[in-house]
Amino acid sequence: MAVADYKTYLAENVLNERRTVTYRSLGRALRVHVTLAKQMLYDFHHSENNKKPNSVNATYIVTGMQKAPDSTSATNGAGDSFDSNGIPQSSPYISSSMPNQDTAEDDIAISSVLLVREEDLEDAKSTFQYIASIHVYSLQAAVLQDLNVLTDVNVEMMANHAQEDPLEHGKTWGMIQGKNVRRRTGGRPPVPAPTPAPATSTTTIQAKRPIKMEEKPEPKAETEEEAAKPKPEQKSKPEPAVKRDDTPASSKPTEKTAPPKQKGSIFSSFAKAKPKQKKEESATPTTPAVESATPSGAEDAVFLGDASDEDEEQELFPDSGKSEPSGTRETRKEREEKLKKMMEDDGMFYFYYEDEEMPDAAPSPEEESKPIDEPPPKQPEPKEEVTVRGGRRRGRRQIMKKKTVKDDEGYLVTVEEPSWESFSEDEPAPPPKKKPTVSAAGKAKPAAKPGQGNIMSFFSKK
Amino acid sequence: MTGSNTNEFLRPPSEQEFDPVCRESSHYNPLDTFRLPSGQDRHYKQQYGDMYFLRLAKLKPAVEEIAVEAWEGFSIAGEHARRVERVLDVRQGELCWVAGTIYMDMPLKPNILDDLTKENYTLAPPPRPTYQDPSHPELTQIMLEDESGRLRLTGSLLRSAQLCTGAIIAVLGTENSDGDFEVIDIKVPDLARQPRRWERDGVDAQKEPSKGKIAFVSGLGITGTSSDTLALELLTDYLLGYTGSTSAGSSGDAPPDASAITRLVIAGNSVGASMTVDANADNGAAKKKSGPKKYGYDASAYNASPITRLDSFLAEILPTIPITLMAGQSDPANFSLPQQGIHRAMFPQARAYCAPPPAGEEKQEPGWFDSVTNPWEGDVEGWRLWGSSGQNVDDALRYLNLADDQGNVGDGDGDMEARIRVMEAMLRWRCGVPTAPDTIWSYPFQTHDPFVMQSCPHIFFAGNQPRFKTAVIEGDSPLRLNGADTEMTGTDDNNTSGPHVRLLSIPKFNETGELVLVDTETLEVEVVKFGAFAGQQEKQ
Repeated sequence: MAVADYKTYLAENVLNERRTVTYRSLGRALRVHVTLAKQMLYDFHHSENNKKPNSVNATYIVTGMQKAPDSTSATNGAGDSFDSNGIPQSSPYISSSMPNQDTAEDDIAISSVLLVREEDLEDAKSTFQYIASIHVYSLQAAVLQDLNVLTDVNVEMMANHAQEDPLEHGKTWGMIQGKNVRRRTGGRPPVPAPTPAPATSTTTIQAKRPIKMEEKPEPKAETEEEAAKPKPEQKSKPEPAVKRDDTPASSKPTEKTAPPKQKGSIFSSFAKAKPKQKKEESATPTTPAVESATPSGAEDAVFLGDASDEDEEQELFPDSGKSEPSGTRETRKEREEKLKKMMEDDGMFYFYYEDEEMPDAAPSPEEESKPIDEPPPKQPEPKEEVTVRGGRRRGRRQIMKKKTVKDDEGYLVTVEEPSWESFSEDEPAPPPKKKPTVSAAGKAKPAAKPGQGNIMSFFSKK
Repeated sequence: MTGSNTNEFLRPPSEQEFDPVCRESSHYNPLDTFRLPSGQDRHYKQQYGDMYFLRLAKLKPAVEEIAVEAWEGFSIAGEHARRVERVLDVRQGELCWVAGTIYMDMPLKPNILDDLTKENYTLAPPPRPTYQDPSHPELTQIMLEDESGRLRLTGSLLRSAQLCTGAIIAVLGTENSDGDFEVIDIKVPDLARQPRRWERDGVDAQKEPSKGKIAFVSGLGITGTSSDTLALELLTDYLLGYTGSTSAGSSGDAPPDASAITRLVIAGNSVGASMTVDANADNGAAKKKSGPKKYGYDASAYNASPITRLDSFLAEILPTIPITLMAGQSDPANFSLPQQGIHRAMFPQARAYCAPPPAGEEKQEPGWFDSVTNPWEGDVEGWRLWGSSGQNVDDALRYLNLADDQGNVGDGDGDMEARIRVMEAMLRWRCGVPTAPDTIWSYPFQTHDPFVMQSCPHIFFAGNQPRFKTAVIEGDSPLRLNGADTEMTGTDDNNTSGPHVRLLSIPKFNETGELVLVDTETLEVEVVKFGAFAGQQEKQ
């Protein structure tokens, strides 16, 4: 039993580190009953102050019944009787009732639970008519200016002991046991929280109570991960689908089954902008290789909901639309192949991607499949050719120009088309959105940052 | 006794063994009265007028029954009071009575037609303390309405009567030469039938009397800053059983043993000030400039800490006590009544204790943590509870002339008394939210009006009131066929006496620190107050 250690613990925390220790945090730290913890605090307080007066300061909880004439309790409705205070019986049709009010008012017992500083203890006691109990609430090295800091202690304690299941340990702490506590079991495949610091869940609990895993940080972290690496996730999708086929898909709670489609579209908006380029630029061998290389099983569980074959296929090319007919998809694959070939010898291939020279069997599948709520598709970044001659930087760069023309039917059509523009040093170079292709392989992740930031802040706590 | 309890904690650690304390189990059987159809079945295009017709159709027979009993054979100067079916059939100079819906036209009442003509749209008008204009009391008109038309009511009786839009009443009187109806007497539907205790749970649920208590709290007002949570911490400790003496022998003056509390009902406004607005006002400048809006939503304006703090509070006490959480005005739920429960997705930790999401049509067992509607109706420990987060009381009060005596509104005992009276009036009107849909936003019900009370509750509570107050009201005893007086003093209270209703006005916890406990056997009320002693530090 840790009882013997409590003096060391308290001396270390209260005297050396000048922390505030409450009976609950002590009880949690030493795994003892709260009553015992209260006694330990008292004992420590007593003995330390005997050694050296005022070295330790305490706060107390006083429970009991406060004296009635106190103005606060008089205004609490216990004071005046109901009918006799001069307010006229306002509604005649109601006057038949309310016979019991006087008696009902009188026997309202108001008991109090007060938190009191050590130096106020006697004052506080004198306001009580009857004191049921007094115990030490916390110990600290100096007088607390603001009692509210005690809540921070408890918040911290809760965070440190978050992994302890209150249902199992409650008895040790002296918590009142609920007989019929029900927690959701099953229904949801265990989603291991991608564990930001304190929420490390022990595996035993995981196994026993999958639902326990819905720790607070989960949704946030989940999305964080999603945003951070949209590509690997989508690629690795087929793999966990097989792995987890024992979890009944129908048992997934509704709140989770709803999003997958939208999530897909969110990804595709990221994926369209950055990860595709990553794939193309870095000329990663083939998609299956990436697939097996990224076993990100944890967050996959979230998407798995109704991952049908169709979905998987789509996810291989996240920029393709959901409603895209399979024929187009084939041509798109061909196109991708050609692109990859081109990519080998030409660093600038990706401009052609949107150019007219492309074998354009399917008329711009991106456009037809674009979800409405997506941000406008990112234009390929302006490209520039820079020549440095005699210390002067000159060159031309490709920019996207807006052109408005009237078409055959008389509508105004605005098209953006790439055009070349020359510039020299005195013109400020446009902010380099794109780093040279050499670093492209390592770049894809950092490039995804802005997206990540946005989604994160959506869920972030302040 | 005092000495031993006091010393229990103020002594060196002992080798004492601590027996686990168990909480009484809770019998809980909520009703789905206010649950709206979900998803596509929820329509907002209907007209609100139907609600009034439904309400009138439901309550007119009840009030007429009472009126017949009271006024049949009533005569003034030889003229018998005649029953008139429709308000338009009232003839001038003829003593008669008629039933209908009250409509009050008040100078400061928000009026949708005015807003339309002025092209002045506001999403939620700022709440007014009252709709009366104290300087022009004559501008307030009270009318009686049914499907045929309206009749303006007048008479000295109305000045003292508490009425508000939406109440169904019967009035006795005559139409005067101005075309107004001079009211002599008013009847209301009065209390509905009160179910017996355990009625819905079957006989087998009726066990030996247990010493249980139901705890009510409202207006936790969690803002996520540390300044508002000290009382909440003390409340948590108390509910978990850490506060006070765990040993037996706590006398009546001590805070009741927390293990007797079988259920915590949180009546709205658990989350404090609006989560988005505050973030903008307070720390908007301090925060770094947010990124571009994604999907038209500025994520940095959202302050999640109130709801996460509420979540951890719930998750902390849920292992020991079942909770019924009602939505409230400031909570993240829909605004119009009936507010649907706060979605469990808001509570990543506490939702582990929720009931599993509904699968199919079958009725499922309520969860250990039940996020319910506002208003809400249900059975706890066999008693029927009907409660709201307080909007109904607050709004009905705006119809009443409270500023009579001192000219100041909304303080002192008079205000609290008026609140209790309003609550009583609602029970007697058999309508929990009479002013919806007029001045409280409401779902446009088409087939039924759930605000009409089908049965009279045992405990009628309203959350987020300025102070705690309670009262017991009694209904008339039901008719007895044998009518003998000796029967009336019979032993079986449940069946022969009229309904008793415990009214509770539950204070805002973040202002008062008060938790209200109701005994499950006697319906006696206790209050436990949490707070810090204002000592020398605060006085400095």
